[in-house]
Amino acid sequence: MIGKSTLQSTALRRHAPFWFSIFSGIAVWEIAGRSVSPAFMVPFSTTIARLWQLTVSGNFIPQLVDSGKLFFAGFGLALIIGMPLGLLLARIRILRVGVEPYIMLLYATPMVALIPFILSMMGFGFAPKLLVVFLFSVFPVLYNTVEGARSIKPELIEVAKSFRSSEWALWREVMLPYTLPYTMTGVRQAIGRALVGMIAAEFFLSATGLGQLIMSASQNFDTGGVFASILVIGLLGVGLTRLGLIIEQHFARWRQ
Amino acid sequence: MATSAVRSAPASQVAKGEPRIRVRGLGKRYGTLEVFRNIDFDVGEREIVAIVGPSGCGKTTLLRCIDGLLPHDAGEIRVGDERVTEPIAGVAMVFQHFGLFPWKTVFENVAYGLRMAGAPKSEIERRVPEFIKLVGLSGFESAFPYQMSGGMQQRCGLARALAVEPNVLLMDEPFAAVDAQTREILQFELLHIWEQRPTAMIFVTHSIEEAVLLGHRVIVLKGRPSSIHETITIDLPNPRTRDTLREPRFAELREQVWGTLMREAREAEFHLER
Repeated sequence: MIGKSTLQSTALRRHAPFWFSIFSGIAVWEIAGRSVSPAFMVPFSTTIARLWQLTVSGNFIPQLVDSGKLFFAGFGLALIIGMPLGLLLARIRILRVGVEPYIMLLYATPMVALIPFILSMMGFGFAPKLLVVFLFSVFPVLYNTVEGARSIKPELIEVAKSFRSSEWALWREVMLPYTLPYTMTGVRQAIGRALVGMIAAEFFLSATGLGQLIMSASQNFDTGGVFASILVIGLLGVGLTRLGLIIEQHFARWRQ
Repeated sequence: MATSAVRSAPASQVAKGEPRIRVRGLGKRYGTLEVFRNIDFDVGEREIVAIVGPSGCGKTTLLRCIDGLLPHDAGEIRVGDERVTEPIAGVAMVFQHFGLFPWKTVFENVAYGLRMAGAPKSEIERRVPEFIKLVGLSGFESAFPYQMSGGMQQRCGLARALAVEPNVLLMDEPFAAVDAQTREILQFELLHIWEQRPTAMIFVTHSIEEAVLLGHRVIVLKGRPSSIHETITIDLPNPRTRDTLREPRFAELREQVWGTLMREAREAEFHLER
């Protein structure tokens, strides 16, 4: 017989390694931080205290919002363009053959390398930063959408044709639902890349948001501020990726 | 004793009706490879024509041409008064690998054909459960294909085709991908459903037994490029039931079709039965 307490203890046992690992990590950070100069590293407790200070003094939230705007604008643009373009490329062979080499090239290129070029072309406004985040995140979405849409069984397209589906209905009823789980895999990858793009843009183009916060904190020997910003970006990345995974699983629930 | 009683009911009494499908001088090639040529046959509006032939003889290709999924290179296909150049209304196909949309539930899969035909929502709500019930899938309306056995998936595929109330059913080896017992069950259920709502049906199969059991006529495709080698009228009593399998005449006809195929089979490497 399995009692309630047994169930609770198995749940505890399952999660125990996770929490043990988290607390050990914090402990190691705390000890390491206390044993080196604060010019290099600060302990966990100081980082949290500094984060609290920055939040209360009103320096942190506006920068976070600023970065958030950049992130969601660039990432959103990547979705809006990457997904339909991916479906289009999968459906129209001639277009795919023509465009695919460029996608492969750009997907493999470290986007940071393009920043000086973007700077010289577009200057320091919001638009060039948006472009950087977009370029960082669009290719995983595009690439996964194309690959997903191409892997659709020809028999399903045949079924649609046999039932006299219109081209629009073929997209809505067959191509899109089949491809969504693949696209979402790309979206998850894109989240991490968009965060990198966001910080890179804020570093190398006009300094704003969390990027600026990190840079100015670093220049002022405010190691606590640097660590606080990095911690928030990391947690943001983990949180958004988890959210992406949940959405992906929702759209992929029909796959065994 | 049952035998003599059945023999007194010749197949000529079967009311095939007017030809629903007319295939004349049909030819198909892929580049330099000629798949079949000079295919001529009719299918009555209440007739089942089975097509058998060795693997690669182009019987599935022929069926796809008749559905308008593939263009043909010579001759013509008419369904009713319409010349087939693309899929037309009133013709529905059941696919070998079921062709179900894995992201759609049973209900949504069965509703698909109706939705594509522009049926109003009220009609879909009314007709879909009716056809799900007809194929024995009641209670599985919200199941996804991966949750069902092959036999159940093909029931769903059959319901999807029947739901548009076609007057032509094209069956592309529909039971080839299910196990032997399920196959037998589905064969008799198909016959039962057909008795209730007879249509013109072309049934492509690997199985000689299946062809003789289901078909009012069996067309044997042979050769490279293939053509109609022989058309055998199956003068077994209707409706066909499990008892049909025990008829001496059934065995005779099966041997006849087998013999027709075997003459060439000795020279080629293919399996007649899967």
